[in-house]
Amino acid sequence: MKLGLVIDLDTCVGCHACATACKEWNGASAISGPLTDDSPYGADPTGTWFNRVRHYEVGEYPGCKTINVPMSCLHCEDAACVSVCPTGASYKRPDGIVLVDQDRCMGCNLCAWACPYGARELDPASGTMKKCTLCVDRIFDTALPVEEREPACVLACPTHARHYGDFDDPESKVSKLSAERHGFGLLGELDYKPVNRYLPPRAPPVVAAAAPGSALPQAAEGGGEGAGTPDAVAAESPLSRLIARARAALTG
Amino acid sequence: MHAALSVIVFTVLSGAGLGAFAIVAVDDLCRAMASRVDATQPWNIAATLALLLVIAGLCASVLHLANPRNAWRSAARFRTSWLSREAVFSLAFIVVAMVDLALRWTDAGMALRGTVAVLSLLLAWTVIHCTAMIYASLKPIRAWHTWRVPLNYLLLAHASGAMLVAATLQVLGAPSPILRIIAAVLVVAAAIAKWDHRRYVASDAGRVTLEAALGVAHGVRPPGAPATVAARILDTGHSRGTFLTREFGVTATPTRRDIAWWAMAIGVYALPLAWLASGARNPALAIAACIAMLAGLLCERWLFFVEARHTVRLYHGERRV
Amino acid sequence: MPVPIEFRTLPKPSDAPQRIEYSTCYMCACRCGIKVTFEGANLRFIQGNREHPVNRGVICAKGSAGIMKQLSPAKLAKPLKRREGTARGDGIFDEIEWDEALAIVEARLRTIRDTDPKKLAFFTGRDQMQALTGLWAQQFGTPNWAAHGGFCSVNMAAAGLYTIGYSFWEFGAVDWDRARYFVLWGVAEDHSSNPIKIGLDKLKRSGAKFVSINPVRTGYSAIADEWIPVRPGTDGLLALSLVHVLLTDGTIDYEFLARYTNAPWLVICDPGAADDGLFARDHEARPLVHDDGSNTLTGAVTFDTCVALFGTFTLADGRTAKTSLTLAAERYLDAAYAPEQVAPQCGVDAATIRKLAREMAQVAFNESITLPIEWTDVWGNVHASVIGRPVAMYAMRGIAAHSNGFHTCRALHIVQMLLGALDGPGNFRARAPYPKPVPPRQVPATAPSHPRAPLAGSPLGFPMRPEDLAIDADGRPLRIDKAFSWQAPLAAHGMMHMVIANAVAGDPYPIDTLMLFMANMAWNSSMNTTGTREMLRAKDANGAYRIPFIIVADAFRSETVAFADLVLPDTTYLERHDAISLLDRPISEADTIADAIRHPIVPLDRDVRPFQEVLVELASRLGFSAFVKPDGTRRYRDYCDFIVRYERAPGIGFLGGWRGASGDAALVGAPNPRQWDAYIANQSFFEFHLPPALQYYRFANRRYLEFARTTGFITDIEPIVMQLWSEPLQKFRLAGLGQYAGPRPHDAADRARLTTYFDPLPFWYPPLASQGGADDGFTLHAITQRPMMMYHSWDSQNAWLRQIIADNHLYMNTRTAAAAGLADDDWIWVESHHGALRCQLRTMEGCEPNTVWTWNAVAKQPGAWALQTDAPEATSAFLLNHLIPEHLPGGAARFSNSDPVTGQAAWFDLRVRVRKCAADETGAWPKVAALPEQPVPERLRWGAA
Ligand SMILES: Nc1nc2c(c(=O)[nH]1)N[C@H]1C(S)=C(S)[C@@H](COP(=O)(O)OP(=O)(O)OC[C@H]3O[C@@H](n4cnc5c(=O)[nH]c(N)nc54)[C@H](O)[C@@H]3O)O[C@H]1N2
Ligand SMILES: Nc1nc2c(c(=O)[nH]1)N[C@H]1C(S)=C(S)[C@@H](COP(=O)(O)OP(=O)(O)OC[C@H]3O[C@@H](n4cnc5c(=O)[nH]c(N)nc54)[C@H](O)[C@@H]3O)O[C@H]1N2
Ligand code: SF4
Ligand code: SF4
Ligand code: SF4
Ligand code: SF4
Ligand code: SF4
Ligand SMILES: [Mo]
Repeated sequence: MKLGLVIDLDTCVGCHACATACKEWNGASAISGPLTDDSPYGADPTGTWFNRVRHYEVGEYPGCKTINVPMSCLHCEDAACVSVCPTGASYKRPDGIVLVDQDRCMGCNLCAWACPYGARELDPASGTMKKCTLCVDRIFDTALPVEEREPACVLACPTHARHYGDFDDPESKVSKLSAERHGFGLLGELDYKPVNRYLPPRAPPVVAAAAPGSALPQAAEGGGEGAGTPDAVAAESPLSRLIARARAALTG
Repeated sequence: MHAALSVIVFTVLSGAGLGAFAIVAVDDLCRAMASRVDATQPWNIAATLALLLVIAGLCASVLHLANPRNAWRSAARFRTSWLSREAVFSLAFIVVAMVDLALRWTDAGMALRGTVAVLSLLLAWTVIHCTAMIYASLKPIRAWHTWRVPLNYLLLAHASGAMLVAATLQVLGAPSPILRIIAAVLVVAAAIAKWDHRRYVASDAGRVTLEAALGVAHGVRPPGAPATVAARILDTGHSRGTFLTREFGVTATPTRRDIAWWAMAIGVYALPLAWLASGARNPALAIAACIAMLAGLLCERWLFFVEARHTVRLYHGERRV
Repeated sequence: MPVPIEFRTLPKPSDAPQRIEYSTCYMCACRCGIKVTFEGANLRFIQGNREHPVNRGVICAKGSAGIMKQLSPAKLAKPLKRREGTARGDGIFDEIEWDEALAIVEARLRTIRDTDPKKLAFFTGRDQMQALTGLWAQQFGTPNWAAHGGFCSVNMAAAGLYTIGYSFWEFGAVDWDRARYFVLWGVAEDHSSNPIKIGLDKLKRSGAKFVSINPVRTGYSAIADEWIPVRPGTDGLLALSLVHVLLTDGTIDYEFLARYTNAPWLVICDPGAADDGLFARDHEARPLVHDDGSNTLTGAVTFDTCVALFGTFTLADGRTAKTSLTLAAERYLDAAYAPEQVAPQCGVDAATIRKLAREMAQVAFNESITLPIEWTDVWGNVHASVIGRPVAMYAMRGIAAHSNGFHTCRALHIVQMLLGALDGPGNFRARAPYPKPVPPRQVPATAPSHPRAPLAGSPLGFPMRPEDLAIDADGRPLRIDKAFSWQAPLAAHGMMHMVIANAVAGDPYPIDTLMLFMANMAWNSSMNTTGTREMLRAKDANGAYRIPFIIVADAFRSETVAFADLVLPDTTYLERHDAISLLDRPISEADTIADAIRHPIVPLDRDVRPFQEVLVELASRLGFSAFVKPDGTRRYRDYCDFIVRYERAPGIGFLGGWRGASGDAALVGAPNPRQWDAYIANQSFFEFHLPPALQYYRFANRRYLEFARTTGFITDIEPIVMQLWSEPLQKFRLAGLGQYAGPRPHDAADRARLTTYFDPLPFWYPPLASQGGADDGFTLHAITQRPMMMYHSWDSQNAWLRQIIADNHLYMNTRTAAAAGLADDDWIWVESHHGALRCQLRTMEGCEPNTVWTWNAVAKQPGAWALQTDAPEATSAFLLNHLIPEHLPGGAARFSNSDPVTGQAAWFDLRVRVRKCAADETGAWPKVAALPEQPVPERLRWGAA
């Protein structure tokens, strides 16, 4: 198994719902909660998050595009964050999920240094490293209804830009989406083999421009019932006369 | 990168201690091979000091841990983690070095001492290498992910170690001219290695851009725009600091960097060289040169951290790391 | 290095028993369904309710952070009375008991009601219980009630309701499942924020095209297939240029115009006459059309009447009349509306405008949809299928918050009419209880208030003609906000933004008590914030406050709470009962009629009361006729009882679900004493699916209209005819011209405004604040956007959300900034005609070069919202409102800075200039004095066992 997320940059509007839902679910999770917040009402509000949404612009005005990029752990296949961890607190499961065992971590930060993506954050209160768990305590929780056995961020996302699944299964939703939409892994050149895939924006649909005088009236003139367009109007109906006159008034 | 004082002190002190111990061990080895047992007392003192430095360094390193209660687990990933190896070999080194010292102070036989010296020498080198590899193995930090880092660490550890031993001998009234020469050579070599490393860091080799980090070439760009189109940050998604900005977002002001650079150049290379070359005998000068070296090294190590730029900075808007 | 792979047992989750409750979110006005999990007594997880019609399971950042609102240290805990000897605004209070608080309010209100009820001004902000507060005000007898609509988006509501019978904002929705082309005008978030997000994804999946017209490219615009950076305030011109292209090309829906709009209606062309510009009517007052079939003028129109869309005709009395569409075509075919003409003003090139119009026409006419759904038109003809023009548009405050917004919004509706793209498959559809007649048949109370008597009519409504204005015999406004006066005749939602300024000036009269509910008028919801704060503490010559008494009902320590003489602390949304009623702003979607409730799922831990309970209590004590029995005893035990038993008309109450004594009636039925339980058992919402035959063309769908009459949505079964040419507007214009046979304004300025702005056809004019050279030197348009993760002022108290955004910058196009010598993070002075502020600059690409913008309502008064005084919200964030005057600049100073038709606050008309600060000038300015700091934790570990 190779569990992970697909994140669709074509629909992500950068709303931070996934980030907040993640904070909420995992804050009270036995796996890695609580997630500390410091200066919550003060000058330097800060806290531990597993998922952060950043906003970029590509290109120059007016041909620019704003891109919102949510980032959480990509559950890399070649997860250096795991191999560098001296205590063995960080580990990768056979299903691909990369986790930190809170009872073993000594808070040395090395795994965070080893992660190119900024997916790990040290919790100042527990002194331990924390990160996205892929909501391992949701996705396998048989007490939850089947359709809710999904990561909190995936459930929350209002544009359905997030999908969860098994990349080892070519028939899974994530594998298919990634294949169809040319999903890619961030910073492939570093060779961490991130499992999470990002979908680049789709090519914009092409819409023809209606030629002047095209459209409905022509359908009418073109021969009444069944002339191919849903708007076909019987040539001799009162409506077609109305249209013909109106067109004449307008263009004639 | 955030330059944690504990890590700076740790790497400098333990590096110097390990280097010094290595020098002493080499000396011992030479003696063992030559079967000479003369004038070892000052060398023993130097070795003891070296071990103390290593231990002090290790203590400092524990301060860096946010959850030191679990420090004892750090041997767990010996197979893959340089930090784990560093921990294991450091402890091994300390044990062996203590045996070595005990043998020295009890004037044990040269054969035995020689064997242990070889062992401690290998361990010292290994530990230095492990420490360096902790950094050099990190792909996300381009400035570190190069063979130049272990080379620098080895040379600086030995240069500072040799300085320490030479100065100790000087203070104890048993100067070693050869050691001075060796130390001078090491300092010069370290300077060259440093120059090369900095040249590499300043070059374009291996740089990663914001565009690459976002996947612009993979199509994350406006329709019709060339794959070379530029990207920029609009908003990092947090108004104040996060763990990531505190750990990776740190950049020193140019002034502070200049000061540190000069302090390094003078403290690590110029003053020690001057002292070594001068042949000065004043013990105070020897101590001063050592202090200059260590202070310079603290600056060197500070620069090593603050000048290193982690890829995550791309995601916070840096154009290139 | 191989990565070690291991399997380990995970820590056991808490074994505290779980409880699940369903309710309705109120982190914003979108009103999504939430599923709330408790672990033991603790809130564990708030997620979207998959079954809920609004959000279908998703949830936004605010909704997910509800827990942090519940934990906010800014929550009020007890009634507060301003401490004797302290000044208003200092925020120094004594805690009092509810008995005392209610006694104070009761005594004060009784005196007002017994003497001059209009001296109570009761205004509400982000509440969703306007049916109750409106009823309460009407029963009290004051006309001085309104909710936030006047400063929010009444332009959208009014333009829609005076044109198509439903509207953008909350009374219409895009058919996301079928739209093939979607144009979004000036929307950053909207109230329907989750539905829009869900919908945009649907569009993207189906390959429909999404065009965003917005000066700024963030959020929704970020993912648009095409972004059109329009110059603020010029959308009306752009839209009318689309009209020009559609008319020139002849690509319009002749059939739709002929049958469902007043395009064929004959307009009297008799300049100078009292009925010039009104519709020619037959003896039954039916508007006349020309029947091309019989070549006669007739008022009896059926489905098959071959009406003339164009033409000039002679009326029986010999006068000339033209069809509405003829007049429209005469205007819009003019070269003034040609793309080439408007391009420089809009900042959109002519080719783009043409392309937009032609793409829309292409999709509307050549890619139309036919659904095999049989339906019956209002004339009784049965149709085998429904045709959809799958071009959908949606618009919000980018259009609304300009003083030309009413006409601009009407222009958008004209585009929709020409395309036939209204309430059909794939386009913009009505949400029940809409559509309603154009405009809805409810005029505002026009008679003065009387002691101890309910107001004769509703405080708000839709004037059809000058007679419907709320003015006295001398033409002076009856309302404190001057809504429905000559200055803002169609102010259908009131003008909350003028209340404080007018009350303090005693213009049109002084008041005694200002009661504010859920509105932060001392900060982000006022124009001229600095001035408003001064006004709130202004005193007369005798040292008495000009607004003698201020009651604030709020749940949190807002900036406005500090100005209260008496604070009535409210509950949070998880702690109270609420009805999200069809009598209010509906949560219906196009195919479903829906309403919902909230119920207390978190036990109260403070001495606070739901404000609706307070209202019911006061109404009972003061003896409002709807709230007491004839013998004077109270009619309703409490709010819940009121919601269940109050009937607006027989069988029609606040909640539509599970009516009837046994709970089996939908929408109409006798009160059901167990109605709340039924809602709770059904996940707190009620949904009524319209059968397919009732889903489309509802303005002329017989079976729908019959249904809507039984549910009380409408009163008559007749076609709801869309109004291209607006007769109500023309009546006001005639009054301005002095030709109207009825009330006419005396004041020349009023007359001039009516004459100009009550054009019966949409037109474009530069925003009022920019007219007469008022912009000289102030070259930049300054606007705001809503951050998706913050709701107005509410969320700075939210420990999670404020980490995402705790301060704001002024965004400017990179090249504009470079030309002005400005760079990222520079501290800058931003100056308008009205004032100056200091903030920090950010450059960006996706910003129209003449526009600067910032996030709305991030800044806070130091110490407010239980934030520490050094919080970024107080030290570096800034509020653009300081620069926006509540009156128009220059000679017209007594006119509100609002749309002249609807009184909609013109927030986005602001023009500014920007310059770099001196080196030592840093930090946000103006600085506002700090409120007393509240005790707050240094560290939060929510979720810790
Ligand atoms: N997250 C969140 N959601 C909210 C709210 C909130 O505070 N936070 N507030 C709620 C309320 S009260 C309301 S009224 C709605 C409002 O919802 P929106 O209408 O989305 O409100 P704004 O954020 O003001 O967005 C106005 C948009 O219009 C653009 N704009 C400004 N001037 C012009 C113009 O002249 N032409 C065009 N085409 N565009 C222009 C701006 O760039 C901006 O994108 O949102 C509701 N939803
Ligand atoms: N510059 C600029 N200004 C604007 C806008 C803009 O786009 N730009 N937008 C305008 C618009 S559209 C609007 S609608 C207004 C919004 O204006 P308001 O409706 O005045 O604004 P809010 O900030 O939402 O504040 C409402 C108050 O409700 C309180 N509150 C929250 N929950 C509860 C509750 O459960 N019970 C009670 N009793 N009180 C509660 C909050 O504490 C707060 O004090 O702002 C307007 N101001
Ligand atoms: S994203 Fe970072 S933390 Fe996650 S597996 Fe990859 S390297 Fe490790
Ligand atoms: S911080 Fe914890 S998880 Fe990370 S490397 Fe150190 S011990 Fe391992
Ligand atoms: S999968 Fe779970 S833990 Fe990971 S980002 Fe999403 S919500 Fe957070
Ligand atoms: S919730 Fe979805 S749309 Fe919102 S930021 Fe996350 S991925 Fe993007
Ligand atoms: S949009 Fe968000 S805050 Fe608003 S009601 Fe829905 S979930 Fe709650
Ligand atoms: Mo609003």
